[in-house]
Amino acid sequence: MNTFDMVIQAIYSILQWQNLAALMAGMIYGIIIGVLPGLGPSAGMALALPLVLKWPPATALIFMGSLYKCSNYGGSITAILVNAPGDASNAATILDGYPMCEKGKGGVALALSSTAAMVGGTIGMICLIFSAPFLAHFALRFGPAEYFLTALLALSIIAAVVQGATLKGLIAAGLGLMLSTVGFDVITGHLRYTFGWEPIEDGIPLIQALVGLFAITQALMLAESAESISRIGKLAGGFWEGVITYFKYPYAIIRAAVIGLFIGVLPAVGQSSAGLLAWAEAKRESKHPETFGNGDPEGVISSETSTNACMPGDLVCTIALGIPGSIGAAIFLGVMIIFGVVPGPLVFREKANIIYSLFVALVLTSFLMFFIGMTIAKHFAAITLLRNEVIVPIILVVSLLGSFAIRNLMADVIISLAFGILGYIMLKGGFTPVPLLLGLVLGEMVEYNYHRALMISGGSYSIFYSSVISKILIFLTLLSLAGPYLGPVWKKLTQGEK
Amino acid sequence: MFKKLIKIFNCGFVFGISFLLVCPLANSADFPKKTIKIIACAAAGGGEDTEARGIAPYLEKYLGVSVMIENQPGAGGKIAFEKFQKTEPDGYTLITYTFPKSIIIEYMDKTNFRTKDFTPVFAWSRANQLLVVHADTWKTSDEFLKAAKAKTLAGGLSGRGSTTHLAGLVAMDELGIKVNWVPYEGAAGSVAALAGKHLDFTICLATSAISLIQAGMLRPLILFGDKRDPYFPDVPVPKDLGLDITSIPGTRGVEAPPKTPASIVKVLEEACSKAVKEPAFIEFAKRRQMVLHPLSSQEFRQIVEVTYPKVEKFQTMLKEK
Repeated sequence: MNTFDMVIQAIYSILQWQNLAALMAGMIYGIIIGVLPGLGPSAGMALALPLVLKWPPATALIFMGSLYKCSNYGGSITAILVNAPGDASNAATILDGYPMCEKGKGGVALALSSTAAMVGGTIGMICLIFSAPFLAHFALRFGPAEYFLTALLALSIIAAVVQGATLKGLIAAGLGLMLSTVGFDVITGHLRYTFGWEPIEDGIPLIQALVGLFAITQALMLAESAESISRIGKLAGGFWEGVITYFKYPYAIIRAAVIGLFIGVLPAVGQSSAGLLAWAEAKRESKHPETFGNGDPEGVISSETSTNACMPGDLVCTIALGIPGSIGAAIFLGVMIIFGVVPGPLVFREKANIIYSLFVALVLTSFLMFFIGMTIAKHFAAITLLRNEVIVPIILVVSLLGSFAIRNLMADVIISLAFGILGYIMLKGGFTPVPLLLGLVLGEMVEYNYHRALMISGGSYSIFYSSVISKILIFLTLLSLAGPYLGPVWKKLTQGEK
Repeated sequence: MFKKLIKIFNCGFVFGISFLLVCPLANSADFPKKTIKIIACAAAGGGEDTEARGIAPYLEKYLGVSVMIENQPGAGGKIAFEKFQKTEPDGYTLITYTFPKSIIIEYMDKTNFRTKDFTPVFAWSRANQLLVVHADTWKTSDEFLKAAKAKTLAGGLSGRGSTTHLAGLVAMDELGIKVNWVPYEGAAGSVAALAGKHLDFTICLATSAISLIQAGMLRPLILFGDKRDPYFPDVPVPKDLGLDITSIPGTRGVEAPPKTPASIVKVLEEACSKAVKEPAFIEFAKRRQMVLHPLSSQEFRQIVEVTYPKVEKFQTMLKEK
């Protein structure tokens, strides 16, 4: 039976009432989990597991799948409205989503993220359904050398992000890379820069740092004035304005979806970088990069489309090889195994009906998310009209509670506060937090894979350029670095010819 | 029509919130009165974690309270062990890991915890270490050993100071093979790298590579243990090959903090021994290709005692590099 037949059959199975009910329940539960800070998809799925254990496998996996997908969407709501990312993958959504709220366009930004959930999610799912085994084998061709080069390519995007304030940008990126070295070194087994403090032996915890850099910093900024988040004191633009705006950027959508899918498919690249890289890439290609970070809708579109395409990408290796691509995917893998669906190359043959039901359910989830977004956007956006003296304490309490809840450690609250103060100082000094974030997210990947590649090759550097993929990655990196200089030259040349 | 749809969605939300509030309700008399927390010294989705999550519902059934799994990876579990040494011995916080990971850490590092002090409760499974190669390369262990002696091979290492690390060091030392160890954060990374032929071989727990072995992409050559694994009846153990390799069994179960009262241990032990006999759990174990090997609190304690000298013998090798 070919894929199309399987999909058609799966659509029939989805339309059974219990599967539809499970899908809806999973979505609502997922969005709530996502909105609550500190509770990500992993915690959400772990909490729900005992509940669904007795359900038939297809129904239970549909519930878990839509929960997994929607928790991500829930995280974008808080990222946009109060500058607090629900999960690390929503970090880039903040950059333009929150400034949009300041302009009173909270509802529009939420519409963008709902539409992105639908479009990005669907694009990702279609690729997952029709080419998972192929994509998984492509991912396996990435060894340590290729991962190192991918991370390097990603880091080169910093060059575009810092345009205009190069020195300050590079300082922030350097700080991010330095912070990424803190903790247990997987390669040598040594502890670095922990000063005997156990909470950072695992490295700087990412979500806690994000909560500090964005939510706490923003709360401090808001406390300086007595207005509301929406500077104009009312909401401008409705839901449909957002939807129309979204489709005005077809190129940005495709670019972001490709980046998200690529990051997702590679098992050793964190989901958190998908949104950030798509955002940075959009800024670089934009004709008006200065509007990014000041409420450019294209920023929200890129980041959210990429994040939503990343999740199906993440499932590619998880389902086709049994190798989890992220923590959330690892939990999902565990859940699948418990229901007797052992992911791996054989799953498409042995449990095809369940797998395709799950896939179709995830596509349906993407569409339903759009409708949920439509329903709630206006009500949620009203938060931005609250006066600062009301909203600031709420942001502080909720976000600190969230960073505590992740590991049940008081130390994490201290980490968040420290990053909040750091973020405040950076903002006052004219630094942007994006390069710092990219450094922090990519630092380990660069370092460890560099070590591993050289360990495998026995110290020979040829491993970095011997494969075809390596050569392509090196070429792209050089292009990315030279782009800002080559661009004007190219323009001159082409204009000269005319 | 549209407004109605919106109303339905809103109702759904209210339902969802109340659903969330009702979830953690649980009650019972006497010892287990509140949620029991099991700390898994591995990232979510790892072997220890999945097994704990698999048994948790059946523990819940016999304990009458909810059982929560908390992941505390990092430094091979050291952070969790240090904290566990000082945990209140009330039976509400337990720990699960692949024994003898904790003993390895004691010999590798200066630690404040002692595995000897922990109170063994029950062990449910035995995790076997496998030597896995890519299916396109060597077909038998003889071929592999010949190749490994001819040149230094690159071997994947899933986590420093893990039981896999120890098994790899011991095996390669006793076989007289020099290896270029490449450390990864976990088995997922090293298995993926092997499947992509970036590594020559990897040593990992049988469960970590099962999908790709079944699909014929990876090939297991040696199983480090005294007995063959029922799920891999064709994979020889060192004895079958005429090799002599010290086997240090990887055991998974739960332990309570030091000085936990015997009465509490008994309640927990009983619940565990009933849980592993649950047909649904046995079915779960089968699907995960988990080797069930129940050990009582007493038997588990004995294993802890005899493992110390075995690890001590290899302590200098663990510290190297």
